[in-house]
Amino acid sequence: MAKQIFRLKVNGDNYEVFVEPNRCLHEVIRDEIGLTGTKEGCGTGDCGACTLWINGAPVTSCLMLVGEGEGAEVTTIEGLARDGELHPVQKAFIQHGALQCGFCIPGMIMSAAALLRDNPHPSELEIRQGIAGNLCRCTGYTKIVEAIEAVAAGSR
Amino acid sequence: MTTTYRSVHQRQPRLEGAAKVTGGTVYTADLRLHRMVHAKALRAPYAHALIKRLDVSKARAYPGVVGVFTAADLPQHLPRDGANRLHTVLADKEVMYYGQPVAAVVADEASVAEEALDLIEVEYQELPAVLDILDALKQDAPPVRHSMAGIDRSELAAHTTLAAADEQTTEKTPPNVTHRMVWSRGDVERAFKEADVVVERSFRASWTHQGYIEPMSGIVDCDRNGDYTVWTSTQGDFTTREGLAKVLGVPETKVRVNFVEMGGGFGAKIQPFGAVLPAIIARILRRPVKYIFSRSEDLRSADPSSQAYIETKLAAKKDGAFTAFKARAVYDSGSFPGSPLMAGANLLGAYYKFPNLEIEGLEVITNRVSQGALRAPGTPQATFAIESTVDIMAKELGMDPLELRIKNAVTQGDLMPNGRAFSKIGLVEVLQRFKETSFWKNRNGKPSANGKKVGVGFAVGGWLGGGSPSSASVELNADGTVSVMVGANDVTGTNTSFAQIVSEALGLPIERINVKTGDTSLAPYAGVSAGSKTLRTVGLSVQRAAQDALDQMFKIVSERLECSSEDLESVDGQIRVKGSPEKAITFELLGTMSTGFGSPTPVILGRGNVGTPAAAPGFTIQGAKVEVDPETGEVNILDAVCVQDVGFAINPLSVEGQIQGGVAQSLGLGFSEEMVWDDKGVLRNPTLLDYRIPTALDLPRIETALVEVPVEGAGPYGAKGVGEPPIAAGAAALVNAVSDAVGARVYTLPATSERILAALGKLPG
Ligand code: FES
Ligand code: FES
Repeated sequence: MAKQIFRLKVNGDNYEVFVEPNRCLHEVIRDEIGLTGTKEGCGTGDCGACTLWINGAPVTSCLMLVGEGEGAEVTTIEGLARDGELHPVQKAFIQHGALQCGFCIPGMIMSAAALLRDNPHPSELEIRQGIAGNLCRCTGYTKIVEAIEAVAAGSR
Repeated sequence: MTTTYRSVHQRQPRLEGAAKVTGGTVYTADLRLHRMVHAKALRAPYAHALIKRLDVSKARAYPGVVGVFTAADLPQHLPRDGANRLHTVLADKEVMYYGQPVAAVVADEASVAEEALDLIEVEYQELPAVLDILDALKQDAPPVRHSMAGIDRSELAAHTTLAAADEQTTEKTPPNVTHRMVWSRGDVERAFKEADVVVERSFRASWTHQGYIEPMSGIVDCDRNGDYTVWTSTQGDFTTREGLAKVLGVPETKVRVNFVEMGGGFGAKIQPFGAVLPAIIARILRRPVKYIFSRSEDLRSADPSSQAYIETKLAAKKDGAFTAFKARAVYDSGSFPGSPLMAGANLLGAYYKFPNLEIEGLEVITNRVSQGALRAPGTPQATFAIESTVDIMAKELGMDPLELRIKNAVTQGDLMPNGRAFSKIGLVEVLQRFKETSFWKNRNGKPSANGKKVGVGFAVGGWLGGGSPSSASVELNADGTVSVMVGANDVTGTNTSFAQIVSEALGLPIERINVKTGDTSLAPYAGVSAGSKTLRTVGLSVQRAAQDALDQMFKIVSERLECSSEDLESVDGQIRVKGSPEKAITFELLGTMSTGFGSPTPVILGRGNVGTPAAAPGFTIQGAKVEVDPETGEVNILDAVCVQDVGFAINPLSVEGQIQGGVAQSLGLGFSEEMVWDDKGVLRNPTLLDYRIPTALDLPRIETALVEVPVEGAGPYGAKGVGEPPIAAGAAALVNAVSDAVGARVYTLPATSERILAALGKLPG
């Protein structure tokens, strides 16, 4: 398949990439742009490790073609911390022991941060619904839920 | 305990946390090297077949393809050993399991390699496949495979230390039985005759997958000197080195394995399956080769956990005293031997005092992917069998199932099936503590609603704990900070715990300590991170290395201050004379002294190295409260708890987290996780949509309660292994809860809706 130029805006920075149009968005962000925080756990939309934001909405980027990212504000885990300051969800995940191997964590945090932005005081069920698309095999989710609850309580 | 600690026994957030939450942590797939090529494997569509013709010419000619490799291209690079999965890199004439790699394509781009796979022409002749575990026991079953020589059992040894069993091989051993053992004591038959109640049942547990979120992956480079450099998702850099050196036929000095973070392993990543193929190809191409399993490849053809078939027979007196236990356990090893039969069969009869006991264990091979370890390998299957049986016994006796367990629970000095006696263990303490959990106190809350039935169940579980020699170094830097180097792969926060141990030993704030896992050409040796042993084995080495460094510092300070070492203490980053804190030398000054140009003071370099420490079996009880819809068979888990004896929690935050993860996994084994094959041995659910690991919505908040029965010398401060006990009992607890809810019992794991409905007589079994 012939390569084409695509223009992407990721974490506020503009990039031009020259790739086949059938490449997935997460692959291009990882391999061409070099932001490898977005992970691939399945490539079929089932694990959530590739979750990033398109215009603020969390999506599984392994289900998107590179062209679908054009013209959008793409935010990855690398773009969540602002001015060297970790996002409150990032801090809470560390503080509450909500991470182990860490492979699911970028996607998990992108889902959790979007949830709290849209619903600052979610119930436990709403939290669990908000991260239900992000599989974590290490933590059993308990400390992840606690970390998200702590952020919600802190913003009260 | 009245001792107060400054660093250990404190809830310490992970020191490398910031990298993990910002996407900065590097995993194998994140790496790119100059001149790197990508490998993809062609996988067999049959469970058992002969390869009649293999033509790769079209794939070789495809633009962008750098090379195509079949077994015929590899022999000059490989000491062949057909009985060892690691050495069977590509199928050689015979395919033994669905998804076995048959050929590999290497290209500049992964997508090109993938496309070229379609151009490989293979002609297979299908052979009869042996798939069912009971069929595999038959005398007239067709053989699963040809070569059986030189069986490698090193993986089993990595997990647990077991006494040799009475191995009996008779001439009439069926062709696919690869191991048979019997353990016995007393006279079981007589005890059954004299018993008041006898319960006899049989159980099955399905094949399951470890479900790590990062698939198997490896990058290997080989330079003109024949030196290999490896980055791979592994639980053991040194075991990777050992395995690759053997397969490649080179000295271990020629293989350097770099530490990269691993996105979960749970036992699957003990053997370097992700690194062997790229290593062999790198040797031929002299270029870095990257090989990443797709999720579907990983589910089809990594090294999942074996199925088991277990028969039990339990005898008791009216007062609840168990008098005899007889069992037959069959473990399916897949197409290569090496199942966790010994560990499973031993734990099957290890939780309770059985004056009379007989356990027969059998390992069979089948035409399925070879099995690997899954957290306490063999144990969830065995625990399901024994803990279901005990629950049934409680019902028959009309006794409280918890009191029945407490009455019969093993304590120090009791014998395991393999004839070894337990050292100091905390099972009874764990069972007593269970009564104080919120789970227990609220077990009767919340009545059944809208026709749904609520039930509570629990089960005992345990793991004996593996062990291996280890070493570590602790070095004082010029600025008074301390560098710790280990060779152990940090899977669950061990490096943070090591920092706590060093901080405690040196009286130095944890911020001034940096623990790193070195590559295998530099780091002090450590065994694989498996068997719940990393913290307790390597932690002892770290503790000794810190003490060694401290002794060296005390010597220098005592000479300087003209006092005896015994009069010194190390507090808050300075070494001072007890009782006169103004007489002190800081770590900074010591750092300068021991590194300065022309300084006569030697470098402060502490060394710790230990052999395998004393055994430290860890026990748990796990509880589940479930709501079952008797119309649909659907299970909703309302509450879950795990009480565990951890010996001493170096970092309770990590310990709880690891336990919660284990509980989640074991509940998954209980209600949703199962690899489903069709009658041709083709995996029907090779996606994470269809192989259902629990989501956040499937699970409740998991309560943990830590019991601390420390064992001197078993680990730092008496710490025991934590990782494996929590996966032992969750599935059994869940099934017991379902039975409590609906009054019918499921005898096959997982207890899916269909199986629950079948148990209720609403679906054919
Ligand atoms: S990698 Fe995209 S959902 Fe799994
Ligand atoms: S922390 Fe390992 S998968 Fe979530």
